[in-house]
Amino acid sequence: MAKNKLDWHTGEQNNGRAPLSLENVHVSYATRRGKVRAIRGVTLDLHAGESLALIGESGSGKSTLGLAIVRLLPETAETSPGVITYRRDGREVDVLRLKPNEMREFRWSECAMVFQAALNAFNPVLKVWAQALDTAKAHGWHDKDAIRRRLVELLEFVQLDPKRVIDSYPHELSGGMRQRVLLALSLLLNPQILILDEPTTALDIITQRTIIKLLRELKEEQHFTMIFISHDLAIAAELADRVATMYAGRVVELGASDDIFYRPRHPYTLGLIRAVPTVTGGFEQLFSIPGSPPDLVELPSGCKFHPRCAFATDRCKQEEPELEEVGPGHTAACWHWREVEAELQRNPLHRGALNVLDVIEIDEEVVS
Amino acid sequence: MSTSTTVPESLSAAPTVTGSSWTRRIIQNFYVRRIAKAVFTIWVVSTIIFFLIRLLPGNPVEQYIARLIETQGMDYENARMQAAALFAIDLDAPMWKQYIDYLGNLMRGNLGVSITSPGTTVTSIIARFLPWTLFSVGTGLILSFTLGILLGLMMAYRREGLLDHTLTIFASVVSSVPNYLIGILLVVWLGVQWKVLPIAQMRGTMSPGVTPAFTFAFLYDALFHAFLPITTYVLTTVGTWMLSMKGSTVGTLGEDFVTVARARGLKDWRITTAYVGRNAALPLFTQLTIAIGFVVGGSFLIETIFQYQGIGYVLSAAIAQRDYPVMQGVFLVITVSVILANLMADFLYGWLDPRIKVG
Repeated sequence: MAKNKLDWHTGEQNNGRAPLSLENVHVSYATRRGKVRAIRGVTLDLHAGESLALIGESGSGKSTLGLAIVRLLPETAETSPGVITYRRDGREVDVLRLKPNEMREFRWSECAMVFQAALNAFNPVLKVWAQALDTAKAHGWHDKDAIRRRLVELLEFVQLDPKRVIDSYPHELSGGMRQRVLLALSLLLNPQILILDEPTTALDIITQRTIIKLLRELKEEQHFTMIFISHDLAIAAELADRVATMYAGRVVELGASDDIFYRPRHPYTLGLIRAVPTVTGGFEQLFSIPGSPPDLVELPSGCKFHPRCAFATDRCKQEEPELEEVGPGHTAACWHWREVEAELQRNPLHRGALNVLDVIEIDEEVVS
Repeated sequence: MSTSTTVPESLSAAPTVTGSSWTRRIIQNFYVRRIAKAVFTIWVVSTIIFFLIRLLPGNPVEQYIARLIETQGMDYENARMQAAALFAIDLDAPMWKQYIDYLGNLMRGNLGVSITSPGTTVTSIIARFLPWTLFSVGTGLILSFTLGILLGLMMAYRREGLLDHTLTIFASVVSSVPNYLIGILLVVWLGVQWKVLPIAQMRGTMSPGVTPAFTFAFLYDALFHAFLPITTYVLTTVGTWMLSMKGSTVGTLGEDFVTVARARGLKDWRITTAYVGRNAALPLFTQLTIAIGFVVGGSFLIETIFQYQGIGYVLSAAIAQRDYPVMQGVFLVITVSVILANLMADFLYGWLDPRIKVG
């Protein structure tokens, strides 16, 4: 496979360091009303072989962050200040400084992104094969036989019949099939990082299961490094090693999957978990976070979550908390995380997230 | 289509089933169905033309008979016979018989004889003049369509820029001025005031002494004479293409597959042509077919202004002299050209957009 000609720097002690590091990344959009501050200083390390889930409501900035990494934000967006460092084989590049052609080569061959709404992810007038060929050729890979062999292998991996799919037009495939073709295509150039933006949204539950199984295989058997963007906590819990909760353009809690779902320390994460409906539970168990996500042009003072927070005090209105260690490898940005902990002891989680996971386990047996 | 291919082998081996699936495949074939539709439309149009000529009060046949009696002092019987010969109909036969004869004549290409130049068949007139109109209108439309698509694409990529604003104003102006005014302005400015073009020599379809042949000299001469009509067609239609293409491209640029194509790291040129341009141009092909019919029908003003002897020129002459058989023939040709253009566009569309054939 052709290796791209990025402007690599031979870093000093890069070996073994995270393939992707975000440092103080900001994204804002210029609009008539003012500056929309979509991302406000995100610092994250994506470790090799891990799968990191970004969770949060719509408008929390999770999709924007995904798009910022591959620099596909609209032209009105400004990504500064901030540094995104990408590392491979002991060398590193500054993603935000790549020239247009280098950026083009970086996309898909180093970092592929599977989008939500895969229904429209393909050019309607080209066959699957032509679109795969386009992708390979754009990255300097011209051996048609080898490309076809690789595509067949990947289509088989996503459990599609290559003979049928390769010469099909996108409209001849169902939504679930298209999503799987896109997944196969994202692996075509063997990227180091895979960003999945709501890969199961708009799919029925059975198809969701198939996709999740595939992703789990990618994670467990091929040790892909993945960023998983979802508002579906059950799926995030199932696939992620680590979870980052985002609110108003910031990471407000970050920790191992179990810590986040069983021992949340940020009131927002707790709210999200309690808002997950259970299939068997009645309405009385349903909880929703009061209010709505903040206006990103005129953000509230202090902690951006305070107008909706049951734990909020005067301090929250004035000072915005930074991420602080609340457990081993577990950080949260809340002045009152100890009170959240106490509240959880008084009022244990209603097995909200757990229940959904249980349902999914049962569902899986039905499917297979 | 798929039903016939998925018939199990055991079933398709039986002769009766093979037969029915074979006929079904023909009936369900996209092209066969479209051609059948076109033939049906032509039949409907020619039927309407037949009844219009005969059933309207003061129909052309009666009027022609009356004129012969008045001007030539013929008696009714003789006048009637001559009229029947001209229109290629038997006036004594019952209506249904006349209709059958008319359809029969039509299929044999017999459209009657011209009134103003007796002895010349309408078919031969059309055969002589139609190619020039098809040549000038066709060239004009292809040029303006191509130009409009390219400019529209550019405008969409640079929207809100200087180029976009300039071209939008240009497009709005040229598409709002009627084509005959643009034609007259071209004659007045280029020919009379600035004397850039030898207007007098450019009249007609060919220079004297030039004969149609596949030579460079002939092609040059044909383009020289068709230059002004073609320019007029391009100027009057290019604005619409530009604006449609711009709108369509802006819509396509927002499609997910364009973002995914960029995420896939495709080269910009490939995205612009195969992903954005091709999809944005699709809806314009439907408009193209409508335009072809409109321009062939509307060509008579332009061809009169430039003295370009095409089918429009013939039509305006026929209208001025009440040459009904010629008018009837030209109307038929115009409608048939619209239908054929539609058919062509459908086939083209089926090839350009794979989703069409399925539906």
